[in-house]
Amino acid sequence: MIMGRILILFVFFALLSGSLILTASSGKAGETGRKLLMATTTSTDNTSLLDYLMPSFTTKTGIGIQWISTGTGKALKLGENCDVDVLLVHAPQAEIAFVNKGYGMERRKIMYNDFVLIGPSEDPANIKGRRVSEAMQAIGSSADAFVSRGDNSGTNKKERTLWKLAHMPIPDQETWYKQSGQGMLATIHVAAELKGYTLTDRGTYIKYESVADNMPALNILVEGDEVLLNQYSVIPVNPKHCSGVKYKDAKALSAWLAGPEAQGLIREFKLLGKHLFIPNADQE
Amino acid sequence: MDFIQEGFTQAYTLLRSLDPATYSAISSTLRASGLAMAASLLLGIPLGYLLGYFDFRFKKQIRIIVDTLLALPTVFIGLVIYALLSRNGPFGEAGLLFTIPGIAIGQTLLSLPIIIALTATAVEAADRNLHITLMSLGANSRKIAASTLWEVRLGILAAAVTATGRVLTEVGISLMVGGNIKWHTRTITTAIALETSKGEFGMGIALGLVLLLIALTVNISLAGLRRRI
Amino acid sequence: MSVYQLKDIDHYYGDKQVLSIENVTIPAASITGLVGPNGSGKSTLLKLLAFLEEATYGAILFNGQKVVPLSDKVRFKVTLLAQEPYLMRRSVFDNVAYGLKIRRDTKNLKARVGEALAQVGLDPQSFSRRKWSALSGGETQRVALAARLILKPEVLLLDEPTASVDSHSARLIKQASLKAREEWGTTLVVATHDWQWLYETCDTVLHLLHGRLFKGGLGCTVYGPWRIGQRDLLQKELEDGQVLVVPRPEEGKEMAVINPSKLKITLPGRDPLLKWNIDTLYGIVTRLFLERNGDTVQTAIKVAELVITIRLQRDKVEKLKLSPGQKVSIAYDPRDIEWF
Repeated sequence: MIMGRILILFVFFALLSGSLILTASSGKAGETGRKLLMATTTSTDNTSLLDYLMPSFTTKTGIGIQWISTGTGKALKLGENCDVDVLLVHAPQAEIAFVNKGYGMERRKIMYNDFVLIGPSEDPANIKGRRVSEAMQAIGSSADAFVSRGDNSGTNKKERTLWKLAHMPIPDQETWYKQSGQGMLATIHVAAELKGYTLTDRGTYIKYESVADNMPALNILVEGDEVLLNQYSVIPVNPKHCSGVKYKDAKALSAWLAGPEAQGLIREFKLLGKHLFIPNADQE
Repeated sequence: MDFIQEGFTQAYTLLRSLDPATYSAISSTLRASGLAMAASLLLGIPLGYLLGYFDFRFKKQIRIIVDTLLALPTVFIGLVIYALLSRNGPFGEAGLLFTIPGIAIGQTLLSLPIIIALTATAVEAADRNLHITLMSLGANSRKIAASTLWEVRLGILAAAVTATGRVLTEVGISLMVGGNIKWHTRTITTAIALETSKGEFGMGIALGLVLLLIALTVNISLAGLRRRI
Repeated sequence: MSVYQLKDIDHYYGDKQVLSIENVTIPAASITGLVGPNGSGKSTLLKLLAFLEEATYGAILFNGQKVVPLSDKVRFKVTLLAQEPYLMRRSVFDNVAYGLKIRRDTKNLKARVGEALAQVGLDPQSFSRRKWSALSGGETQRVALAARLILKPEVLLLDEPTASVDSHSARLIKQASLKAREEWGTTLVVATHDWQWLYETCDTVLHLLHGRLFKGGLGCTVYGPWRIGQRDLLQKELEDGQVLVVPRPEEGKEMAVINPSKLKITLPGRDPLLKWNIDTLYGIVTRLFLERNGDTVQTAIKVAELVITIRLQRDKVEKLKLSPGQKVSIAYDPRDIEWF
């Protein structure tokens, strides 16, 4: 009888979990059939591009797709560990290394958006409208606050490239150089609080602008430079490295993304009424 | 900060309009936590009894280890479970990475030390005369175990409440092991993390309120159970 | 037929010896009283008799057989009511029914629980559904007793059952436990300070002091400080100025114990001729109890701060016309005093 009462406790939890599993499996979760797992960067998911794009792919091919949006570093790691089938990322140097090590293959450019340098409208370092390299030098020498992601993300890597192109040592412990260690939007907020400069992708800036009711504390000061382009590529994980990956489906996704339908959809995609990505797929 | 107020209205709208994405996240949260709680109670209560009731070599050392595990950071558990469940890891074949049972395994690891430690403490704190009473009324070892656990049921319930709270609200394991995949492994907490990173603070608050509501429901039913036993 | 045979029991908690009992037999359907000050080993002895613990050395035979704790041979036959009653966190009914339930003997359960409660003077109607926490101390003790009585045990061990309860409860507890022997031939072993009950009802009274049994009365312990006296003996000055003389102790022993069976009681002024090795103390009779056998009287005598309890023959008590308040002299041979 005592055992019986203890059982009640267990049964209570068992029923709880059991009933939940039932309700859940009757819900949206149960997609059967082919399923492709993709690792991608937060920017593609946060902007809802994938929610907009992927249903068309599934309708056309019958391949369901799930994605994990994370930093570029972790996305590449997931590919290396064979936990995903395909990558959609934007860190060309690291991608090439990834392919060279045999983790991925057939890297294909899909689209780009761009980075912009933003800062307070007073612009104390006077960088507005200048070339990126000059702007970085001006910020570095004026020692006005600059907020960096500091998280080894694609944006962070791009920022370090910019310092190098400007022939500047990469700052680290300088008092004006703040490393937030957070996501892009949080980093912009930090920069706004500090009235500092930062480098951001245009998508996140549009988001920030709209959250700030189009009265942003930070404005775009430098844009359009060649080096500011942010190239996205798709890379199927190499089946020779990971025997379990769905290479065929990954390849199908890659081809579809580069095809006219997806490229058209990407061109028309708008975030808060503004175009964000420019398709530039390599054709086979 | 109008997004707090916005959060309240949005939370109401989400629940009211049966927003499928929200309900999917609620379902994922409850499934993972429910599985984890069931597993950790089934494992933890007997282990806690053994640890609290018997005297054996290295008991103190084991106790210290269990107590230390109470401080396990969820991100760390997530990382370890990811390493184990990764397709390259030792249990990769099981295909549990980025699934609800995978999250549940990690959350079980999170809640197990809580259940074990608090059950052991409750059993240790039980009156010495309980043991004499049970023995002298004719109980055998199995009955002594069952009756002792039933005597300390409120302590075990407290352990369950504490562990449920931690498991429901953790984000590190769900994010790392679950992958925050929409419609599949996105839980309320990982959704909050995502919405926050997207700058949708109001939505983040709304989801946080939804989670609080779930915790409230769970605790009300546990309080009801407490009164009945 | 003896229920228990104790053979050379030496029991230790860690390094500390708590019991040392040579040979004791407890007959079936008897009532055995255990007396002795707190810490004298009564509770420990009861735990050994209940087979909750196993003696470190020696053996306790139960119905002629050697048994170990949790053994099926005794589990359902012997039950102990511990000193501090413990009720499980459930209703009175469930507490009383517990033992029967684990025996899978649940026929007429309700009626039997009612009967057991009635036996300890609790109204089944109003008490069955009560929570464990809604009882007074005396009621708790009685419910705990009912939980044992319902088992119709072969042996019922009671550890100070009336120590911390009201007099009404105490009377009911005594009645109920005596009835168990009358109805089912239950063997009772009772540790108690209730002298009257002891000597009125017990067939045998075992006197325990520091884990040892004393025959013929309760040993009386005396602690230092000591001073060196004549004839290589030690002396202790009592509170009223009298002097107790004891032999020198062996190494490491600290307390002197006066064995009452070696004492001689006379009226003051009528002392027999004193031998050189006999000393005398004066005291006052405080209590007299006629034992159940009708032949012997337990006599408590206060000597300064000491209380010495001696078993005297009834005719001797009558001859001396002893009554409480009577002054007596106690003759003793210092060499009979033992050290522990």
